[in-house]
Amino acid sequence: MKKRRSSSGVAGGGDRRFEKVLEEIMEGEVDDDGGRLKMKPRWKGKGSEAKASADPMSKIVSQLYSSLIRSVARGLLLSRNVLIEADAEVSYLFNRARFGRSRITSQEEKQWFQLDMEEAFYLCFSLECLKGIGKDGSIKSNKELWEYSKSEKPAFPISYKAYSHLRHKNWVVRSGLQYGVDFIAYRHLPALIHSEYAVLALSKGDNELNGRLRVWSDVHCTVRLCGSVAKTLLVLFVDSNSQGTSSPSCLEHYTVEEETITRWNPEQSREDQTSLRNQTK
Amino acid sequence: MGSDDWGSCSDNEDYLQDRNEDDDEEDCYSSGFLSKLQFRKDISKARWVDDLAMAEVVEKKGKMWVTMGIVRNGNTYCSIEETLFLIEIGALHVLDGNDIHLSLKELYEKLSNGKSGCYWELFEVYKHLRSLGYVVGRHGIPWSVKGQQIKSGTCSLEGSQESNEMLEMEPKDENSVIELFNNMQITDVSPAFNVYLPNSKFRKSSPGDPSFVLYISRCSPPSRVEIEALERKHGAIPFKFCHVENGHVSFFSFAKTELPVLP
Repeated sequence: MKKRRSSSGVAGGGDRRFEKVLEEIMEGEVDDDGGRLKMKPRWKGKGSEAKASADPMSKIVSQLYSSLIRSVARGLLLSRNVLIEADAEVSYLFNRARFGRSRITSQEEKQWFQLDMEEAFYLCFSLECLKGIGKDGSIKSNKELWEYSKSEKPAFPISYKAYSHLRHKNWVVRSGLQYGVDFIAYRHLPALIHSEYAVLALSKGDNELNGRLRVWSDVHCTVRLCGSVAKTLLVLFVDSNSQGTSSPSCLEHYTVEEETITRWNPEQSREDQTSLRNQTK
Repeated sequence: MGSDDWGSCSDNEDYLQDRNEDDDEEDCYSSGFLSKLQFRKDISKARWVDDLAMAEVVEKKGKMWVTMGIVRNGNTYCSIEETLFLIEIGALHVLDGNDIHLSLKELYEKLSNGKSGCYWELFEVYKHLRSLGYVVGRHGIPWSVKGQQIKSGTCSLEGSQESNEMLEMEPKDENSVIELFNNMQITDVSPAFNVYLPNSKFRKSSPGDPSFVLYISRCSPPSRVEIEALERKHGAIPFKFCHVENGHVSFFSFAKTELPVLP
């Protein structure tokens, strides 16, 4: 991949920034032998970077938080989902923050949103702006919600830690089932090439419960599938550090290590000698 | 929400390329390809030394010797995988101790007896990368050592590769040697090769750091714990894993990363 020389003598701060961004994009394109991926953002079009800074995910989530507090939001626990009745403002913010899926009903004034367990627990426990209602009609405490989630999904502590780890960093995290993984993580605004991740949440130690990629054919399969949908396989290793799973406060002491698994193609990389030498460690 | 469209993925190219890869492998054995290689005018000669499980080069022809074979005291020696590769492409004739020509069959047999520190997958990987122009050498075995005769067991995999390196170097104090041996037990996997990019500037006398160290996995993919140990061990030098099955060689990188905190 040849680097384009940036044009010189262009006046104006905005154009220079665009050139810089363009250079970053060009550099970014020669990153991938799979060794160490560069994490520079690759923005589509002029002004997108500025637009994203003006509209950060953290701010949107903060707005969602306020809105849910204001509306005294309650969610109904139904198997592995939490169902919430949302007014116009809450609906809008759920969509913007990419939480839940809206359910189409004939009701016009209110929309119903369906949250995954991880999404619901994040709003209830991490952000404390939602409360869950059990089948008996009572409000569930965080501990009760935790036990409930574990009973529905034994690997919940692992998957939740992974989910919240990424959400805390303001990444959008959605279900990855269609891609054969646990989650899809991507940056907010706008859609970027090669900056999306297909995420697997695994325990660091040997855990029968949630084991994936235990044999090579699984690695081949998952990496190939991720590649064919332009996503990088990201494994989040969750270490419970022997804290157990008795209460959600255990999560605080869990640690997460991130690892990408990528396929290296020797036919492609040998031409790009400079990039392999210059790759960041 | 997210890009679900399959049509726009550049990685589809990657997938298609893999399919072409399979076709290429078949072509490798077509007569056209072989005819280019088989009838070389310049065929080097080497003598197989059973004690070393290596071939001592007797007559060098061609430029490939810049990146092939290890040098000890002015002599060049080829590992079994290098020897087999060169014979397969018709660039080397090998004789035994009595100056009788050794056939390819006999050399495959030598590979199978295990004394040369090589096994079939190691050879397949070696051949795959060499054919693409990469410079490949056994990890832990120096390319060139002056003033020292070659040691028996240089290529043996009985110890770890590091033990060979230790034997070749200046004697260190006892503690560091013990530490080195202790550290070798950390992982079950031992590194197979140092791989360098196709590079006409490669010199055995100063090869520099490899582009990456290659591990060959035969059983399961490495765990996070194993990867961590390797990250500590190799530091700034990248490492990769390769998996060989049914003649297919695939390479994977397991790289620690940290997604940035977004605004």
